[in-house]
Amino acid sequence: MAQTMLSPVKRSPLNFLYKHGTLLAIFVVIIYFSLTLDRFLTYENFGDILRSISIVTLVAIGITFSLIVDGFDLSVGSTVSLATIASAAALVLYRQEIFVTLLVPLLLGVAIGLLNSLLIIKLKLPDLLATLATMYAVNGIQLTYTKGFSIYNDMPLPDGGTAPGKFIPSFLFIGQGEIGGIPFSVLLMLLVVAFTHLFLTYTKPGRLFYMTGENREAARLAGIPVNRYRTYAYIISGFFAALGGIVLASRIGTGQVSAGASFLMDGVAAAYIGFSVFGAGKPNVIGTLFGSILIGVLLNGLTMMNVPYYAQDIIKGAILVGALALSHVQKK
Amino acid sequence: MSGLFMKSIYKSFGNVPVLKGVNFHVQKGEVHALLGMNGAGKSTLMKILAGDLSANEGTITIDGADYRFSSPADAKKAGIGLVVQEVDTALFPSLPVYENIVADDIVNAKRQPLLSRKQQKQQAEKLLEQVGLSLPLHKPIQTCTLHEKQLIVLAKVLSSSARYIILDEPTAALSEVETKRLFQIIKQLKAQGVSFIYISHKLKEVKEICDRVTILRDGIVVHSGNAAQLSIEDMISHMIGRSYERNEKAKRAYSDEVAFEVKQLHIAKTNTTVDLQIRKGEIVGIAGLAGAGKTEFAESILAATKTSGEWFIHGKRYTFSSPQEAIAAGICFIPEERRKQGLFLRETVRTNLTVRLLPLLAKWQWILRKKEEEVAQQLIETLRIHPPFPHAIVQHLSGGNQQKVVIGKWLHTNGDVFIFDEPTKGIDINAKTEVFSIIRSLADKGKAVLYMTSEFQELLDIADTIYVMANGRLIRRFAAETTTYEQLIYYSSGGGENGSNNALAREAVSS
Repeated sequence: MAQTMLSPVKRSPLNFLYKHGTLLAIFVVIIYFSLTLDRFLTYENFGDILRSISIVTLVAIGITFSLIVDGFDLSVGSTVSLATIASAAALVLYRQEIFVTLLVPLLLGVAIGLLNSLLIIKLKLPDLLATLATMYAVNGIQLTYTKGFSIYNDMPLPDGGTAPGKFIPSFLFIGQGEIGGIPFSVLLMLLVVAFTHLFLTYTKPGRLFYMTGENREAARLAGIPVNRYRTYAYIISGFFAALGGIVLASRIGTGQVSAGASFLMDGVAAAYIGFSVFGAGKPNVIGTLFGSILIGVLLNGLTMMNVPYYAQDIIKGAILVGALALSHVQKK
Repeated sequence: MSGLFMKSIYKSFGNVPVLKGVNFHVQKGEVHALLGMNGAGKSTLMKILAGDLSANEGTITIDGADYRFSSPADAKKAGIGLVVQEVDTALFPSLPVYENIVADDIVNAKRQPLLSRKQQKQQAEKLLEQVGLSLPLHKPIQTCTLHEKQLIVLAKVLSSSARYIILDEPTAALSEVETKRLFQIIKQLKAQGVSFIYISHKLKEVKEICDRVTILRDGIVVHSGNAAQLSIEDMISHMIGRSYERNEKAKRAYSDEVAFEVKQLHIAKTNTTVDLQIRKGEIVGIAGLAGAGKTEFAESILAATKTSGEWFIHGKRYTFSSPQEAIAAGICFIPEERRKQGLFLRETVRTNLTVRLLPLLAKWQWILRKKEEEVAQQLIETLRIHPPFPHAIVQHLSGGNQQKVVIGKWLHTNGDVFIFDEPTKGIDINAKTEVFSIIRSLADKGKAVLYMTSEFQELLDIADTIYVMANGRLIRRFAAETTTYEQLIYYSSGGGENGSNNALAREAVSS
């Protein structure tokens, strides 16, 4: 009766594709761009790619947490925008030092996570709709606050003067600085990836996050406080989106309105592509990292090939469909 | 030739014959009971009649015309109506009452123009009157009670001018008053020439409402005749065939000390309260048919549904408001729906087994993999889980082995109370024997065990004390070594109410 399940996993080409299809895709894409583009395989370009990946990865890790508890967070893009504006405003309009500049956006991110969990867990709204509503509201808040204008050094104020503060060097270091030749934002990303990966894979709370998402009813009947873990997941999602927003503000050195919008879809795509990495079949941080590497490399190469940004979305969509198909076919 | 005839019906699934030449005859204007134990072939026979399945052999004749149904729509056209047990599956919850009733007319109106809204309402009103229901026509289905929904399904069936209506366990979830009302409506419709096929485990009701009875056992009709001349005891003995021997198992020893007790535990679904005591090392069985409230009782003990009352574990008083609290106090629950409620199917056996043990296996929240592996391996050996690998994925295990994993997660938790809800559902005989031996060894270690099932023979094999549950109440208590299978069936199917004075009842009192 049980003989069939003892047989080792079949080593068919198809199985190899399920497990390593995403890595293969990254590899193929890099080879292709290296052969066709002169400036692709350079130290500077890879620095660029990693820098742009770092923000997407931070946002996507937050999304990964919400996916792990079988939820979804559409509000991360707006949270990135709000955090960007908040840190720029703290620096430029209120002349704050680094501590407050970091604290305010992170607290806002946590607050948005709390709001989401309130809507989803207490009011029992469907996660997609609740976070969609939050997405709109938060986006509206950052637009209203700035009246639609970006925040930058020496900007003119309505009363006639110029803004008192500016982007201070310690803040700019987050997105532009380097340690030993490696961009700080990349180090930050790697640190967060390592920490969350270890946390989710090897600790008790990490295990319980996964079990909550895997079968909420069974988890509840096994005494796991499922609603608490779902709340944590949305808070973590908001926190990492805000962290991404801070890195973004620091990298571009201004507070641009609605700058975070594009990170939602890139983050979602990275997290879902992550399902298929190593045939995990579930949300995982290492997979998410590879997902955002794939997207980052693609976007970089396409831009160098002068593919317009609006056409790049078509490629992104196709990649996402491919990754989803890989992990779903495998499940069956 | 009026009436419905099913002649020499054969049906097998693969190599397993389910119906072996069944003859079934329903007269015009009668209520005909179709009885049998689980697996006797009732559902298969009715699915053939409703066009859901097709028979391998046999004929169906309705009022003189021969039929061969290849779809439920065919059966509907021939005048067969079906009121399913799960009425919600036959209704559109957000649509109003009248649209639900005339839904079939709208679907079938291919060439003729659609009914106007006014006509729809008139039609619905007429049909509602027929089933004795007065409801606002605009009321959305989701706000109706179960009883109302059932009658709406009946009205819907009548709208397709059904002459032979199958009622599948119609009273399983109804209160006594609602049952009485349903019977009245059945009688009225019967007078208009509608026939009913009545499937139920509640034999007392069968006696009350049915004119004739057909009893199936293992795919064969073993009895067919007037309901009035057949006592409940005779029905039971036809259904189970052999007369079950009195249980000869040796009496297990258990302590006098009460280990677990609930007082005035409220069961929300039936709005009843239950008191129960379990002694240290005692295995208490709850016998009840589907819908008797066993699962609701179990989930109330765990505080997994809204409830109130008092819990006592080794004399200490608790009031729980969440499963988390109940589990922390030492209650272990093995739920009925193993895959939906008990397992993390895509996780490993190890992860499933250690979910309750993580606090012991983690240092500074860091799970000690090696220790976890050892504990899992040990549990796998104790429970003889196959394949014996901690890293096997649970969804690839057989039902019996999955069940051992569900039980296994509680074994090392130092819980004092174990609640098993239908633990042998869908597992083979060997696994069942192993599950029983696990349960016995738990009791031998002094745990209080509560075992709920609708498979009564199991209770005679494993339990020390047996309660019969019906409509959310514990109505009888028996010592397992003095009770019989017939007695359990008799009381759980509604016999012995209203101070009946027959042989089985006397036996129960004396035991």
